[in-house]
Amino acid sequence: MKTLHPLTWWIWSLLTIGAVIHADSSWLAGSAVAVAAILVWRFSLAAPWAKSFWFSLKIGVFILIIRTIVGVLIGVPIPGTKLVTVPIVPLPHWLAGIRIGGVITQERLLSSIHEGLIIISVISLFGAAVSLTSPHKLLRVTPVAIYEFGVATVIATSALPNLVQSISRIRRARALRGDEKPSWRSIALPLLEDSLSRSLELAAAMDARGFGVSRKRSRYRPITWHGVDSAIVLTSALVLAVTLAVVR
Amino acid sequence: MINFSRVSLVYPTSTKTILEDLSFEISEGEMVLVIGSTGTGKSSLLRLINGLVPHHTGGILAGDISVDGISTRLVRPGELSHLVGIVGQNPAQGFVTDIVEEELAFGMEALNIAPDLMRKRVEEILDLLALSHLRDRAISTLSGGEQQRVAIGSALVMNPKVLVLDEPTSALDPIAAEEVLSILHRLVHDLSLTVVIAEHRLERVIGFADRIIHIAGDGSAEINLPEEILKRSDIAPPIVHLARALGLSQVGLSVRDVRRMTEEIRTNGRDPEVIAPVQADLAISTQNLSLSYQGKPALRDVTTNIYNGEIVALMGRNGAGKSSLLTTLVGLNNEAKGTSEICGRSSKDLKGKARREIVGFIPQEPSDLLYGQSVKGECAQADEDNECAAGTALALLERIVPAIDPNTHPRDLSEGQRLALALAIVLSAQPQVLILDEPTRGLDYQAKALLITLLKSFAKELNRSVLIATHDVELVAELCDRVIFLAEGEVVADGPTLEILLSSPAFAPQVAKVMSPRPWLTVSDVLRAVE
Repeated sequence: MKTLHPLTWWIWSLLTIGAVIHADSSWLAGSAVAVAAILVWRFSLAAPWAKSFWFSLKIGVFILIIRTIVGVLIGVPIPGTKLVTVPIVPLPHWLAGIRIGGVITQERLLSSIHEGLIIISVISLFGAAVSLTSPHKLLRVTPVAIYEFGVATVIATSALPNLVQSISRIRRARALRGDEKPSWRSIALPLLEDSLSRSLELAAAMDARGFGVSRKRSRYRPITWHGVDSAIVLTSALVLAVTLAVVR
Repeated sequence: MINFSRVSLVYPTSTKTILEDLSFEISEGEMVLVIGSTGTGKSSLLRLINGLVPHHTGGILAGDISVDGISTRLVRPGELSHLVGIVGQNPAQGFVTDIVEEELAFGMEALNIAPDLMRKRVEEILDLLALSHLRDRAISTLSGGEQQRVAIGSALVMNPKVLVLDEPTSALDPIAAEEVLSILHRLVHDLSLTVVIAEHRLERVIGFADRIIHIAGDGSAEINLPEEILKRSDIAPPIVHLARALGLSQVGLSVRDVRRMTEEIRTNGRDPEVIAPVQADLAISTQNLSLSYQGKPALRDVTTNIYNGEIVALMGRNGAGKSSLLTTLVGLNNEAKGTSEICGRSSKDLKGKARREIVGFIPQEPSDLLYGQSVKGECAQADEDNECAAGTALALLERIVPAIDPNTHPRDLSEGQRLALALAIVLSAQPQVLILDEPTRGLDYQAKALLITLLKSFAKELNRSVLIATHDVELVAELCDRVIFLAEGEVVADGPTLEILLSSPAFAPQVAKVMSPRPWLTVSDVLRAVE
């Protein structure tokens, strides 16, 4: 799998994201996440960025939970089967139309979970593309014409893997201070600083080595697009086409 | 080749002037060493040469810098890439690709050099730096020394006239450091390359330098011959301290020179008295400890005992298993087979508060331990954790390094101050054993001396043990009683510092090389012998 074109998984996941959003179906979203998980588990290399997918999945689940709670408690009630009744929080009169608490219906709960699932699948498909592609290889195929964009892409795509790497290092160090379950707040600060300085270091190195000086770029070993790449992209294009045709 | 004329540099966020009215010229084929305490602007000076400062970092620059006649003010750093190659402090963070060969080609690709010419140059560099057998390897799997060579190679492949290196040997073991430096030496002599290098460990590079730039820290800087600078500077390698202590008329910079001057001392000095070891209680003990990562063995049957009051150095080449042994000992790595115990408790059972009170561990990046918003907050957190009176940790810090403003953010401290803060926090829990992983990386001589005093008093006054993984032979010579030597995860030597360090020329400290075959490792050893 080493020889895949670096853009393959990115195109694949972007098309799949398109399909999931257009179809707006929890089934499709769920199966997209499952397929992505299998792909990452099977094909990702033992590289620092390979863990990004599982990290993005965790973030997705976190967002789902928060969204569901907020979605159920706040907003316009959808009529339907009643599950529980939560006391209504009194709000000032100028906030008319907004309600906190009240009747929680099954429909309201399901629609919140459904929206959350779509979000999870979008985030984790992005994570899968990061996991499956070397950010360094991606840089080599970025056209020089969009220099600033190229640098930004590399920093963005290498920031997530750096983040995952730093987290485990900092957690280990924190356990040594007797802090077995460090809070997010205490990790976030060193983490942000760490991955930011790494990304800046990388950008400086690219700058110093002449990236973007010449409008044209020669290739030492050309990265070629193979049949496998087309096949992978085709599968997701097919899924997108089907959803476009079926869902109106 | 490089011309600084009346250069001043100020960063907008700081009130301190980094450099003030600095003028000098470096000619072709010169090797210039930049020295100075941490945080005095060595890195800034190096990055001025190819314009990364101020183009990339911001900052206000007055005066003019030109390289081979091109003013850095007028061009972007990238447009100088065929002229100036730069190797950063941590090469692993500057790699732009995954494979050695691609990394070497990256800069040339960016300049749109024809593929056949690229192939030729990559081949040349692979041969020159002895990297041919690594060409297809993933960079992340290389050892520190190999990575450093790849970083140097990817700068050299552009055929630059100037090579700039920021602490190229700080992460390397003595043998790898020697390799890298001898390559640089050869490039200067054969290709007339101009090299500017910043380094804390002068003992490693002093023999190669033609001139030294000494940055004082108050904005002023002096450029002169090494002999002239080292006559007065407080930053000096052990060999210069030796010459000063013995009152020699000249400051010799190579082992050979000083050997000639000290022949008499070698014949007349007395041997050190042998101090019989005192039997103490067991602090750390391991039995047949083995560990492997994905089928690759990292530790093989490590069996060793460390006693109270001992300061032990763990040495070995990059990747010999030092860090694996340390993390297993403190219980961060529970996959190991065999037993490891600290103060009679199994490493695997160490958790939370108990771990803190039994073992203090300073990781390679001391800042990983810190998360408070200020030095004060950090110390208060430690007091609270250890249930001791408010101000205990801060008082401890005050004893280690006086005059740190308690309201400073930990990120704004210098490398040495940050280590001191981490030490104060760890020591305030009064651990039985102290373990440090590469504590002197990036430390200047002053901070190192402080560390030595502190660790000595911890071990000798409180009768507790210290285990240090390090590449720094000078530190080991000054500080440690015993050395455990690891190779490929196995203990290959274990014995008194004197015996181990003298038995291998690569790991011998500078003073020992001068005084060979007499068994003196440090300046104070020699002074005691001639008293």
